[in-house]
Amino acid sequence: MRVLLQSAASGILIGGVYALVGIGLTIIYGVMRVINFAHGELLMIGMYLTWIIFTWLGVDPFVSIVFVIPLTFLFGAFLQTTLINRVLNALPQNQILLTIGLGLIVSNVVMLIFTSDYKIITTGYSSSTLNFAGLRLSTPLAISLAITTVITTILYLFLLKTDTGQAIRATAQDRDAAQLMGINVKRMSVLAFGIGTALAGTAGSLISPTYYIFPQVGGAFTLKAFVIVVLGGMGSVVGATLGGIIIGVTESLAAVYISSGMKEVFVYVLFLLVLLFKPSGLLGSSRM
Amino acid sequence: MRALDDKPVSRARGSARLWWLLIAAVMAGLIAFPQAMSSPYGLHLMILLFLSVAMGESWNVIGGYCGQYSVGHAAYFGVGSYATLMLLQYKHVAPWWGVWVALVAALVVSLVIGTICFRLRGPYFVLASIAVAEIIRLIVLNWKQLTNGAEGILLADLPALKLGDTVITDWLSKTPFYYLGLALALTTLLVNYLVQHSKLGYYLQAIREDQDAAHSLGINLSFYKNVALAISALFTALSGIFYGLYIGFIDPPSVLGVDLSVQMVLICIIGGIGTNFGPVVGALVLVPLSEALRANLLTKLLFAIGVVRESSAVGGFLKENLAHAHVLIYGILVVVVILFMPDGVLGFAKKLIARGARQLSEAPQPLVGGLHGPTRD
Repeated sequence: MRVLLQSAASGILIGGVYALVGIGLTIIYGVMRVINFAHGELLMIGMYLTWIIFTWLGVDPFVSIVFVIPLTFLFGAFLQTTLINRVLNALPQNQILLTIGLGLIVSNVVMLIFTSDYKIITTGYSSSTLNFAGLRLSTPLAISLAITTVITTILYLFLLKTDTGQAIRATAQDRDAAQLMGINVKRMSVLAFGIGTALAGTAGSLISPTYYIFPQVGGAFTLKAFVIVVLGGMGSVVGATLGGIIIGVTESLAAVYISSGMKEVFVYVLFLLVLLFKPSGLLGSSRM
Repeated sequence: MRALDDKPVSRARGSARLWWLLIAAVMAGLIAFPQAMSSPYGLHLMILLFLSVAMGESWNVIGGYCGQYSVGHAAYFGVGSYATLMLLQYKHVAPWWGVWVALVAALVVSLVIGTICFRLRGPYFVLASIAVAEIIRLIVLNWKQLTNGAEGILLADLPALKLGDTVITDWLSKTPFYYLGLALALTTLLVNYLVQHSKLGYYLQAIREDQDAAHSLGINLSFYKNVALAISALFTALSGIFYGLYIGFIDPPSVLGVDLSVQMVLICIIGGIGTNFGPVVGALVLVPLSEALRANLLTKLLFAIGVVRESSAVGGFLKENLAHAHVLIYGILVVVVILFMPDGVLGFAKKLIARGARQLSEAPQPLVGGLHGPTRD
């Protein structure tokens, strides 16, 4: 029972970060109907930015998100205006291929600059743990969950309460109707891609104290982000939050009770089952 | 009337004859190539080219004609190569027997994947195909007793191919692999041609253009999609077997990774999807470019032109690292192709040629051009 609770708790901790990655992907999909296959690479950029800021300026990885968020937002907005915007009306396959190509470019350019050596960020608390209700939790992951919670709350408030947030949601609901209502959907698209990129980048920052940093790290996260988003329902922000936690816990339990090498198999099997039997996801309304 | 018709017909017949001559010349050149080429690297490049053509043409059957963008084709490639090499290495089954087991295995895998994934459409199909291929990769990676896990399989020795008592080849040089690769590439090209010009091909193209319309016309969607996937999987597996035997080493990332699946798709997209020769063009563009990067030719070229000096910091950096980034060219090419050449390099070239021909034929009649052309005032 103790082991179960312990592994579930660490699953929730990592699930919070997964949720952040998933929310970014789902916002991009919701507003533009573009499936971003370069999402993991955007997370990887966040990791490298954090590493640079940490090694060159000596800024703590969790503090560095103050820089990472605006930088990745601008990068995302740049990608949207230069590349993604051109394929908004193209075939879905071509959109997917464009983002796959984008991901290849990003990861290979990073490899060119930083080589494929593994980099690590070692902080005083990297391997420390803290006690919470009798459970031992990894300190960096606990801090990252706290930050994730704050960011997600701010994002919810932004989407629900502000005019811009409502405009984004309106664009996601019906692009044409939103345009007819006088919403600048092009601007909303840029904003959505920027927010999505910033969320992925932030997730990269948050996991950088506990993960190896290398140019190919993104691929696994891209696929995981899809699993999360499909599980929660494409385009649903709450669904992505829930999906992230479910995937985190599933992985953690599978690693403890079955085998850590096979934990991802269970995630993918879960993914296929959801696709086959509940393609709209847990909270989504959009069907294929 | 007859006199008027005569000219274009004879011209068409003449151009057909020209095509056949060209094809015969290319074939003769390809067959004679190993005799003329003494450097093993040249042969190696050609073998890589054949392999890429075979992979692209195999994917083209399901992705190009049927419009089902599978990004999980590494599954068939890997299953084929793993089955053959495991049988050869651990059970000493000669590859020309093992290949049949491998093909049956790939067929079974394709039927399982098809049954699962063809219930889904568009992006969901793409995601499901990746997920299934990843499941297979993870199982191979973790089933260490059977597959030797992450260490992969290093082929100790490839038995000589004998017919009766005469040794046909002992596989010691690259030449037998060259001819095998050539045969594989030509076979997949032929399969594409046959599929495209058969009833099956028309059904597949109908499915690609509009699934629901095809369905309402009485085409059994899941049956024909599965047939196309099975054909595609068989030849992808053959490519994988060829790769495994030629390189002599396989491990999960090299034959089952997502990168490989993406590479197969990109060969078709860059060349021209859903056409017979698209994958050939794609391979002709991609293989030399990525090999040039891998062999550091690009850096040397930059030094030769004088853009960067070898002794400078940037020069040393490029020399050190650019060779590792040969996949970069795939990324750049696919973005350029999607944005600017939606029909691939082949389609783009055809369009350019057509435009050139139109301009040539319009040249003696400046009036027509003047009427339709942009006016200055």
